[in-house]
Amino acid sequence: MTHNKIPADHSTELPSKCQVQPEPEDPSEVNSRRDFLKTGAASLLGAAALMTQSDDAQANIEWAEHFQGNYRLMTDQEKVEARARLEKRYSEEYGKAVTVDGTPAKEGVLLGYALNIRKCIGCRRCVKACVAENNQSRGPDAGQRIEWIQVMKMARGEFTKDKMADGYPESQGIQYPEGLGIQVGGNAYSPAGVVLEGEYFYEPEAVPEKDATYMPLACMHCEKPPCVKVCPVRTTYREPDGIVVIDYNWCIGCRMCMSACPYWARRFNVTTPVLPKAEMNPKTHYLGNRPRMRGVVEKCTWCIQRNRIGRYPACVEVCPVGARKFGNLLDPESEVSLILARKNVFRLKAELNTFPKFFYFFD
Amino acid sequence: MMSQAAARLPHTKHGEATIMKKLIFNTMILVFCCGVISSAFSEEVICFESRKGASEVTKHDLQPGLPNVKCSPKTGAVLWWGDPFDDTVPLGDMPLLGHISPDKAVVKPRSGKLTILPMCGVACHNGVGPAFIPPTLPKDKKPKPLPMMETLLPDAQNLQHGRGGIWCLDCHHTTQRNKLVDNFGDPVSFDQPQRLCGKCHGDKLRDWRDGIHGKRIGEWASNGKKRWFVCTECHNPHNVQDGARNKGFIQIEPELPPQLPKGMKNANHEHVHGISQPHHGASSQH
Repeated sequence: MTHNKIPADHSTELPSKCQVQPEPEDPSEVNSRRDFLKTGAASLLGAAALMTQSDDAQANIEWAEHFQGNYRLMTDQEKVEARARLEKRYSEEYGKAVTVDGTPAKEGVLLGYALNIRKCIGCRRCVKACVAENNQSRGPDAGQRIEWIQVMKMARGEFTKDKMADGYPESQGIQYPEGLGIQVGGNAYSPAGVVLEGEYFYEPEAVPEKDATYMPLACMHCEKPPCVKVCPVRTTYREPDGIVVIDYNWCIGCRMCMSACPYWARRFNVTTPVLPKAEMNPKTHYLGNRPRMRGVVEKCTWCIQRNRIGRYPACVEVCPVGARKFGNLLDPESEVSLILARKNVFRLKAELNTFPKFFYFFD
Repeated sequence: MMSQAAARLPHTKHGEATIMKKLIFNTMILVFCCGVISSAFSEEVICFESRKGASEVTKHDLQPGLPNVKCSPKTGAVLWWGDPFDDTVPLGDMPLLGHISPDKAVVKPRSGKLTILPMCGVACHNGVGPAFIPPTLPKDKKPKPLPMMETLLPDAQNLQHGRGGIWCLDCHHTTQRNKLVDNFGDPVSFDQPQRLCGKCHGDKLRDWRDGIHGKRIGEWASNGKKRWFVCTECHNPHNVQDGARNKGFIQIEPELPPQLPKGMKNANHEHVHGISQPHHGASSQH
């Protein structure tokens, strides 16, 4: 990236440590040390000049960005500087005034999400609205189109007499030695070991299709997120208001989080993201929809750039059937709290004890 | 498939206003408008907010670089609002909504979207004239076929609401035809259909009031400013009972499916699993 800009001699960085040492008795040694310090200081100045006063502003920013710390461990001042750097770089890159927000979580807020699974008609408008808001890659080639929400189509179950035997191994012509009609795991229609089976690539002329149920899946913002547990560099973490976020600059792209997530919520930038200038959303958040680089993982943040300033996430606003609800779980008057109080609610894969803050409900 | 109302052509505001004023010169003006519309369409992008043919919005820039809406290139649906409170007015009086301050709950008026509404109050149904003294109410609850009404309102031909139990004047005011009617016979504005719909769908009205049913955009805080979507923005009251829909809405066109992973030619593998084809699924899984 910027290796050609880094001074070749790394020893020039050492003198700052040497300065505190007591001066030796031998004058010749003093001279040599002094010379060394002089050259060292000069080279340091040179390096500093390279870093800050070079004509190539882009390279300076990349240099500084490359050596910035983990966002969570930065001081407030460092955070401001990091965001200012990004704003400068993005504004140049996309030819518009890009803002990188850093609004922290509010006190007394624990965000929650509820989705009415009986209302969802599988139109995928939430998927596309998310892309319009969150600056995902949208190129034509494989791996260049990233969508954080996926909508799964499932067959609608019904308990009819002729289907009663479905799902048992014997009904599908499989003979287990111990097979006595005893089902282990699964349910009446799907054999053991098959979870959340459905179609993601459905493309009918019109939705909802008859006898289909649609289940949108995205980041569940777990209270005990397995992805956070496995991250070797601790770049993904849970904010005080419950949003699980990623500092893209600190991400090493190992994809441990992707394999740990039981909800398939994380996406990886295999290629350099393709984001046309005209389509880029200039209102960004450091932990949210700022443009990503190649080799980092990204995922839903409930539109942190919007919800931190009070606005609904894009998917909530776009849902044409009003199936998506969002609010503060600690506020008993919020939409989500009222749903939890009144409706039938379940969490996906609750048995994994991830305690999602995303609830599915039905009337 | 789509609602029949969707067949109605969107008009430019200019054309709409002209038609309202001079009904007699309808045809002449329409011919004139055709030229205006065809030239306007070359630049204007018209998308729909929730229901095609009933909630159209013209794309424009709120500020340089900030569009009012972003639309889906495939379906023409609005995907994103630059300003959620664009073109809205206060919700107005609603029973049991006293705790919400008037400036926090706003709606987009429906009247502007109903192209023939201005005519309803003046041309045939203005409630004055010899035919209305005394009010000549129909003798029975069987709607008579009126060719003009059926042309203007294709939905009216085949009312799909209430399973035969209700008819026009259960919802529309008897003499003030540009109004709806509430439980007590008082006129209700077309901008506040919830006061009418709640007569029968009280449970839905209660959930809508609390934000559980229906859609709102704006601020998520329970005391934040929100744009509420009223009943008829999402539901077509004349065909809510459509047999093709199976979840409370007519069918709509979906957006494009996700990108196939590298090397995958098609998504046929999805059709071969335990649920849709138990026998094939079993052999592929084990």
